[in-house]
Amino acid sequence: MSAPTARRAELLPRGNKPKNPYWTSSIGFVAPGVLLVAVVLYLPFIWTSWISLTEYNGLGDPEFVGIDNFTAMFADPGFLVSLRNTLFWVIGTILLPVGLGLLIAVLSHGMPNATWFRLPFLIPYAISGVAVGVIWSFVLQTNGALSQALSFLHLPGADLRWLLDGPLNTVMMILAASWQGAGVNALLFGIGLQSIPKEPIEAARVDGASGFTLFRTMTWPMLAPLTTVVVGLAIVGSLKTFDVVWAMTQGGPGRVSETLALTMYKETFVNNDYGLGAAVALFLTVITVLASILYLRRQLADSRAM
Amino acid sequence: MIARKIVLAILGLLWLVPVYLLLANASKLPAEFGNYGLWEPGTLGGLGQNMLDAWSRGKLNSGVLSTAIYAIVAPAIAVVVGAAAGFAIVALRLRNGFFWLVVIFAASIFPLQMILMPLFVGYAQTGLFNTRVGMILVYTVIAVPFSAFVMRNFFTGVAHQVFEAAVVDGATTWRIFWRIYLPMAVPALVAVFILQATFVWNDLLLGLTLTQSAEVRPIVTALSALQSTYGGSTMSTVLAGGLLVSLPTVVLFLATQRIFTRGLSLGQF
Repeated sequence: MSAPTARRAELLPRGNKPKNPYWTSSIGFVAPGVLLVAVVLYLPFIWTSWISLTEYNGLGDPEFVGIDNFTAMFADPGFLVSLRNTLFWVIGTILLPVGLGLLIAVLSHGMPNATWFRLPFLIPYAISGVAVGVIWSFVLQTNGALSQALSFLHLPGADLRWLLDGPLNTVMMILAASWQGAGVNALLFGIGLQSIPKEPIEAARVDGASGFTLFRTMTWPMLAPLTTVVVGLAIVGSLKTFDVVWAMTQGGPGRVSETLALTMYKETFVNNDYGLGAAVALFLTVITVLASILYLRRQLADSRAM
Repeated sequence: MIARKIVLAILGLLWLVPVYLLLANASKLPAEFGNYGLWEPGTLGGLGQNMLDAWSRGKLNSGVLSTAIYAIVAPAIAVVVGAAAGFAIVALRLRNGFFWLVVIFAASIFPLQMILMPLFVGYAQTGLFNTRVGMILVYTVIAVPFSAFVMRNFFTGVAHQVFEAAVVDGATTWRIFWRIYLPMAVPALVAVFILQATFVWNDLLLGLTLTQSAEVRPIVTALSALQSTYGGSTMSTVLAGGLLVSLPTVVLFLATQRIFTRGLSLGQF
């Protein structure tokens, strides 16, 4: 028994400032993670920021041009269309996948067999953006499945060129992405609803509140912290939209359905204008980080409190 | 309750319509495609034939092995690296631990667009372009922030006495990590692994930027290429390809839905 006690004594702080006896191994354990993100994520991040101030085509040396890329970017009508489309994506994503997710979660909450009722919404979530694009490109072909269904039902719109005219094609792609994304939001809201204490809700019910009033006055306020995270994630996700658009229109026809993520890719890897591509990337990053702060503050604060 | 069920059921059926259209049209042989209406079902034999076509002529077969390797190896390394960081911060009480957590986690905030071009140039110069090692590296690093975040939160829930007791028994930190903390964290590790494996399997952007040959290209990138080269009557082949590529992640998701949900909630709250 004496040996362990002695060992324990070594762990006790000496002097005023406690010294961590494991500092070398603590550094050893954290190092792989820090080094990997530093080399593969932060270093490229810094390099892209620098390239955004240069003229560079991948060959030779980057030539410093100040903020020329940014002025060129804002003077480019294609970029402005892309910016507008990205804004559409953000608004559409808050309204549809988040709104529908909440609706599905609230409707199925407390229901026996809720898992089964949620299943149809969850299947598309596991599918890749490209596969979603493959399916919906087919559905939305001019005179395709959707048009045929509309004309069969004598509804207007059968002669619309769903994916060939902007901004209609962006709207349709947002719908396709909502088909994919609603399920996961339903799942998250479902987790949130389960963690809401039952007593206040019951009390309000006893007081005569029910249906929508009950939801608006009791459930919704208690769900608010979670909603912040879900909306934040949705905004950030929509700002990064790439796969579905790439698979459905490649940003076209022309550039009418580009998003910022696509504009960056095309400027860099199609037009070989690395400087302009980097400027778009940096611009997108600034908006994304600003939007992230919305929910990250909460996420990290919760985590720190643990 | 009944009204809610009806609304949900109608919405659910509406959600399944594209799935039906996918199945119905992926199962029509290209030669007979025009004989059917788009809303009519095809045949099961047609589905098999079209999948085979997408698999071999559509060249999905050459990328599947690589994609499976990426989707298994990269998240596996990432969860261990993330757990090690979490272990250092929580159990070993790394100085300024929260700061280092933020350093690792913040790397996942900015869009991939910010690193694509340097990676492309850097990979070309170091010979990592169009290699499996290069793809495993980038997928691993992208999965590290989330896994470090989740694992650190998970270890915060473990009493520090567990660590102290192991020290008293004479175990090294290395041993404590591998023999005590990692096994204890298996549920969280599995949840993170499944989420990340799905992400890697479904990735398009990195595959598009950092690979070239069919053997190294991830399967979703190959599907995207298949889609842009085919069209018209071979639409059914493309759809069958889309179905084929989606099956593994959909099956994985349905089989592990609970774990999947736990992974999401571990990451979110």
